[in-house]
Amino acid sequence: MLPTNIENLHNLENANRIIGSDDPILITGANGFIGLRVVENLMDRGFRELTCMTRHSSDSAKLEALVSRRRSGARIRVVKGNLLSREDCAKVTNGVAAIFHLAAGGSDKSFPDAFMSTVVSTRNLLEASVQDKSLKRFVNVSSFAVYTNTQKRHWRLLDETCPVETRPELRGDAYCFAKVKQDEIVVEYAKRFGIPYVIVRPGYVFGPGKINITGRVGIDTFGVFMHLGGSNPVPFTYVDNCAEAIVLAGLKKGVDGHVFNIVDDDLPSSRQFLCLYKKNVRRFKSIYVPHALSHLLCCIWERYSNWSEGQLPPVFNRRRWHAHWKKTRYSNEKLKTQVGWTPKVPMAEGLKRYFEGCRDGRQHA
Amino acid sequence: MLKVAIVGCGKIADSHASQIGRIKGCEIVGVCDSEPLMARQLYERFPIKRHFSDLTELLDARPDVVHITTPPESHFDIAKFCLERGCHVYVEKPIALHAEEAQTLIELADERGLKLTVGHDAQFSNAARRMRALVKSGYLGAGPIHMESYYCYELGRAYAGALLGNKRHWVRRLPGKLLHNIIDHGIASLAEFLTTDSPQVKAYGFVSPFLRSLGESEIIDELRVTICEEQRTTAYFTFSSQMRPSLHQFRIYGTQNGLILDHDQETMIKLRGERFKSHLEKFVPPLMFAQQHLENLVRNIGTFLAKDLHMNSGMKYLIESFYRSILEGTPVPISYREILLTARIMDAIFVQLNVNRPQPQAQPQMA
Repeated sequence: MLPTNIENLHNLENANRIIGSDDPILITGANGFIGLRVVENLMDRGFRELTCMTRHSSDSAKLEALVSRRRSGARIRVVKGNLLSREDCAKVTNGVAAIFHLAAGGSDKSFPDAFMSTVVSTRNLLEASVQDKSLKRFVNVSSFAVYTNTQKRHWRLLDETCPVETRPELRGDAYCFAKVKQDEIVVEYAKRFGIPYVIVRPGYVFGPGKINITGRVGIDTFGVFMHLGGSNPVPFTYVDNCAEAIVLAGLKKGVDGHVFNIVDDDLPSSRQFLCLYKKNVRRFKSIYVPHALSHLLCCIWERYSNWSEGQLPPVFNRRRWHAHWKKTRYSNEKLKTQVGWTPKVPMAEGLKRYFEGCRDGRQHA
Repeated sequence: MLKVAIVGCGKIADSHASQIGRIKGCEIVGVCDSEPLMARQLYERFPIKRHFSDLTELLDARPDVVHITTPPESHFDIAKFCLERGCHVYVEKPIALHAEEAQTLIELADERGLKLTVGHDAQFSNAARRMRALVKSGYLGAGPIHMESYYCYELGRAYAGALLGNKRHWVRRLPGKLLHNIIDHGIASLAEFLTTDSPQVKAYGFVSPFLRSLGESEIIDELRVTICEEQRTTAYFTFSSQMRPSLHQFRIYGTQNGLILDHDQETMIKLRGERFKSHLEKFVPPLMFAQQHLENLVRNIGTFLAKDLHMNSGMKYLIESFYRSILEGTPVPISYREILLTARIMDAIFVQLNVNRPQPQAQPQMA
């Protein structure tokens, strides 16, 4: 492409942005797996006023290294803080035009921990934003985990119109509960105080730095890897593609109040992914559990958990089965048509980099 | 119907709400947290009537019993307030920050004719109750000669990260810091069988090389304690974040026999005092141990099938016993003497650790 065409594209993109290059932007969870890429993406797009918030306990060496590549004139600061502190929230939101809220955390087993670190922190950030009238967009990074998927038949499409869990506490998954409640509080504050927002819901974000296999493919809870996904497509999104989608959704004019799902193109099936993983990372034994059987086992576990008053925690249940292991197709059409996103890293290349990262990670483990 | 309330809606409150839900004849009339969202999330997940962010409003719902599951710093003030308002109180461990505070709460409860207990629930698991019954039956012979209590803690990355990274973390404000929030169970196991009120306590603690390598210098995560009462009964207590296996064990030895209680495995092993003759000692005891382990296995399977092998079964038993003591006027499940002795031993440990902590060496002055 000729330089003039690139320039035209940039100009067109800038015209569609809600904020300018010198407007201050806050990124929470900036040192996280996706957060680092969001910061990088914003820097690459020429944004010069970035506040990157990380936890006190976070080792921000990678972020510092990234920030050191700043262009001349850019003011990019790394702030250590705690989103549970209203004072810290007030400090970092002062005067910002956009907030990319990626911070999340806490134990995936403890509901109160997950809730506190996800929902209470989001509420603090929203309240601080209300005090400061400069905010033009609050980007809440949610998750596919919020969708219920119970009402649909096999192979039906999961997109932004699908319902979210109305009783997330029954999923037995603290992360799902916290994310549903986080979305709710964002919408509530947006309605009450007119905060402009978008919600982005990535599928399973993968890339170098992650070494685990997503539970949508299978689990090794019982000492042997149980392959549960079968022929299901896995809703992968490569971390760089995901970060770009988040950034674009955060900058695009005219999408306030919208929800965007983030999945890449050419999704591999669970079986294809597992074969590739074994071939490229490590060999291990796995047992395929057909869908009917995994559904039955989830039913039995759920009933036993209820009957025994929680002697075994309700971590396997029908709601989780529907959300994780039912045959489902995924769509990224809305993101492509309304935000103009396309996954720049093709699936094959993303998987290659991921497997390389897994091999390196295992060597250093 | 006994009306129950919970103050503090963090992680441990989940365990309380689920165990209270398993007990017949009681209902949770309200939960309270200074953070309204935390109170609401607990209310939404359990059968709870109302949620509050103001303690006074919660107490206006007139609960009979209040469970206090807030961080330890606030235990004393909240427990005192609830007792003054006429509620029986179950406080999560530690009961308070100092023994004097524990004494004040006990006196207040007695004055008002109310009941008070503390969450030493590990002592009420199935295996712990079997052990207690055996001790009472005289299995040990004359009183305990020696006891050993291991209460370790695997300092996971998440908790270590939160604690080390946050200099304002509430655990750092406790007199015994990390130890203050954890060692209660292990100390209480010893206090139950000590007979005097002021045993000698010698404590040695240090920051593990693991924590030091992470830049930590304040959080003591290795502790060894010797307890001795009037040259009669002795006890060792061990807390370690690094030792593997990370034991939760209690051993007690009398003049005739001994017992080993394993909290993690829910097993109790009898240690026979008499020896077999000659080489039989090499063959028979291992067989007897094998038999005992098999019996423990069968018992645990039976308990599991009877749906009574919950991770918090000790908590359910303690709560149930406490409620029974309120309704029927029977003694509280944990004696006030034991609660106070546990608090005194912990005070003694933390005083010594704070006094004995090595000071940073003075840098040689440059001329």
